[in-house]
Amino acid sequence: MSRGPWARWVGLLSAREAPESLALLRVLLGLCMLHAIGSVAFTGTWALVWVDASDGGYKEMGELPWLVAALGGASRAVIGGLIAAGLTAAISLTVGLFSRLSAFALLQIFMALGDTNPHTGGSYDVLISNALWLLVLADSGATGSVDARIRARWRPSPPPITVPAWPRYLVIGQLLTMYASTGLQKVSASWVPGGDLSALYYILQQPTWQRIDMRWAAPLFPLTQLATLGTWLFEVGAPSLLLVLWMRRTRARPGRLRALSNRLRLRDLFIVVGLAMHAGIAILMEVGPFSFVSMALYAALLHPDEARPLFDRLLRPFGRAPRGKTAQTGQD
Amino acid sequence: MTAPPSPARPARGPWPQLRAVLVLLHVIAVVLGALPAPSGGMSRAAWRDPTVQDEFDAWRGKLAALGWSMSPEAFEEGLWTLGSELMAVRSRALRPFKHYYRYAGTTQSWRMFVAPHRYPARLFIDAREDGVWFNIFEEGAPGPDWRQSQLEQDRFRSALFRYSWPNYSRSYGQFSRWVAKEVAIDYPEADAVRLRWFKYKTLSPEDAGRGLEPEGEFIYIKTLPTVRGEPRASQAAPAPAAAPTPQVQP
Repeated sequence: MSRGPWARWVGLLSAREAPESLALLRVLLGLCMLHAIGSVAFTGTWALVWVDASDGGYKEMGELPWLVAALGGASRAVIGGLIAAGLTAAISLTVGLFSRLSAFALLQIFMALGDTNPHTGGSYDVLISNALWLLVLADSGATGSVDARIRARWRPSPPPITVPAWPRYLVIGQLLTMYASTGLQKVSASWVPGGDLSALYYILQQPTWQRIDMRWAAPLFPLTQLATLGTWLFEVGAPSLLLVLWMRRTRARPGRLRALSNRLRLRDLFIVVGLAMHAGIAILMEVGPFSFVSMALYAALLHPDEARPLFDRLLRPFGRAPRGKTAQTGQD
Repeated sequence: MTAPPSPARPARGPWPQLRAVLVLLHVIAVVLGALPAPSGGMSRAAWRDPTVQDEFDAWRGKLAALGWSMSPEAFEEGLWTLGSELMAVRSRALRPFKHYYRYAGTTQSWRMFVAPHRYPARLFIDAREDGVWFNIFEEGAPGPDWRQSQLEQDRFRSALFRYSWPNYSRSYGQFSRWVAKEVAIDYPEADAVRLRWFKYKTLSPEDAGRGLEPEGEFIYIKTLPTVRGEPRASQAAPAPAAAPTPQVQP
């Protein structure tokens, strides 16, 4: 007898899987955070953007985030202390020491810093905070972490490790929500099909986000038109990946569309196109850590069995991988 | 590669049910928050910018082609009313999740490059010594590089983008005063600073291909006396960022 939608929802969220995908996400996001905070700290920009005008910053900060207010305001000492704590938490998250706690501390510190001066942030702040919250909910330190090493000392022969899969599903959902939302808000006549598709060309000419003068792109205008259309379709169509993933998960069932989707490896195509898009943005534009954080979230699109070789390669320079025996699971 | 799907562990006890409710609430909060809305774009002053006006004209033209003609004023007023009502509905829908967004970092704000800025502006900062102005910073230019590592760090790029719009004039004023203080430290002989934005129309591919230079004008020009104060310990004796190149005032 088939189950109702609620029972299926409960069942979906009860699934467990090997921990490598979430562990890979944890390491990549931790590295992104080191860059996100470190690049502000080591260029001296922090004192300009987050410190109140009364203590050397440029802006009289208005309503402060609760953490900054609780610590006494946006002074150099408070902001400097938060940056040091943030860098420590980022390192701690990367190596998987108190993983959930590190993610939570990093989230609160990062939000406190970013919200102190909302004029100096962007959508990457929102993407980072959402991803960190999902790492608070996830057991991302179950393998390849100091946490796992500590647990292994207590239990030398533990059963194969599995973790709840639903936080990974939520990361996928967040990524697709971001794409769909930004795509639907690209309402300029130069973005949408039927227009002149000049959006990307002119965005590349905006001095704020340029790495270099982009007038050399003029002869490539038709290519930028193609990229404009491709970007818009990719973003607006991103939610359809849920259907692709569902058909991948239920690949044993009959159906022509399912068979075609799996034969064309549409999920792999999505990953390749998405990563290429973000790499292009990172090369051509200065938009902070946005591209790197977005690419880090793609770890959630990998099944743990696919993430495992990547994760092992990432840990290889650090000697014997600090991971317990992880389960081989079959859920997509 | 992946093995065939295996059934999930049977759900027992109240936790799976409670978890399903909480995750569903999370999903609802995320989806509602991410629904398109003109947050941050509801500014009459910003709407007067030629980039926005060009966009309105393009859409008015498309609607006219579909047989729905209207004046620029009627179009703008209709958009304003629609946007205001949408924001009011959105605000009510998101209210139950306000604290979740704020404390769990789950805000959804994905208005990224909604339209190309066809009339961007680049910041120039000049200092004056002995009555002669010289340029010390030009946004995006390789030459004058006063405080470039700070002013062109990606976080401050966001601020610079905003401050070339009229609805951020107060913060632009605060930034100008900061410049006046910092220039006094780095250029002790300077008695004044000037900030100005070169606003121009980006070149079309055809014009860029012909080698034309963008034409524009300086706007939001602010001239302030430098502000002498106690140098901070970290900046007690800084060297000038670069040897100033005298430049005749345009």
